[in-house]
Amino acid sequence: MPQRNANANSIVAILPIAVAALPIYYFRTRTPQIDFRVALFLVAGSVVGAYLGARLLKRIPDRELKLAVVVVLGVIGVKELLFP
Amino acid sequence: MSWRDLILVAGGFGAGFLSGTIGIGGGALFVPTMTVGAGVPQAVAQGTSLLAIVPTALVSTITHIREGNVLRQASVWMGGGGLFGAVLGALIAVEVPGSILARIWGGFLLFTAYRLAAQALSTPKSKSAGQAP
Repeated sequence: MPQRNANANSIVAILPIAVAALPIYYFRTRTPQIDFRVALFLVAGSVVGAYLGARLLKRIPDRELKLAVVVVLGVIGVKELLFP
Repeated sequence: MSWRDLILVAGGFGAGFLSGTIGIGGGALFVPTMTVGAGVPQAVAQGTSLLAIVPTALVSTITHIREGNVLRQASVWMGGGGLFGAVLGALIAVEVPGSILARIWGGFLLFTAYRLAAQALSTPKSKSAGQAP
């Protein structure tokens, strides 16, 4: 599958997965593990980013984008692993 | 609106942008934005991330379909298979202490970074995501 289609399909498939897991975080715990106010501010930025990202996908060099993500995930991953 | 709220909006924008471009759910940036940037506990960050992913993925999905990026049959199989794993994973995650969840999360991020680096370094420099192979 071409990289462009794989990236798009990945996010499409995530949608039902998130919807399925969401009620468990809300109903299966003593206190709901969801902060609606925090989610509101995250979504305010993310829907704009998601639209722009999906529109620009065809124009962004894949290699450079992936390497930038590698750096971000690497730094956060080390932090979470060593200082949870 | 406080600095904390601005960090959430900025982190949300970055997560949304990456979800639209490279297809990660957004959780990879949503969760650290909340835990590191806004002091939200790990378990709450993971639950909140799932909520934030829904509208984000919805916008990405609609835009990708309009742009002709989606192979519909493959999406149905991937999404359907992921449902079972998602329910099982969430049932386990709500019972596990936050520090352990964070370490598992860190390990997953490093593994993802490794896989992405391997992919990126095996791609020629001039190759664009939009070009057919």
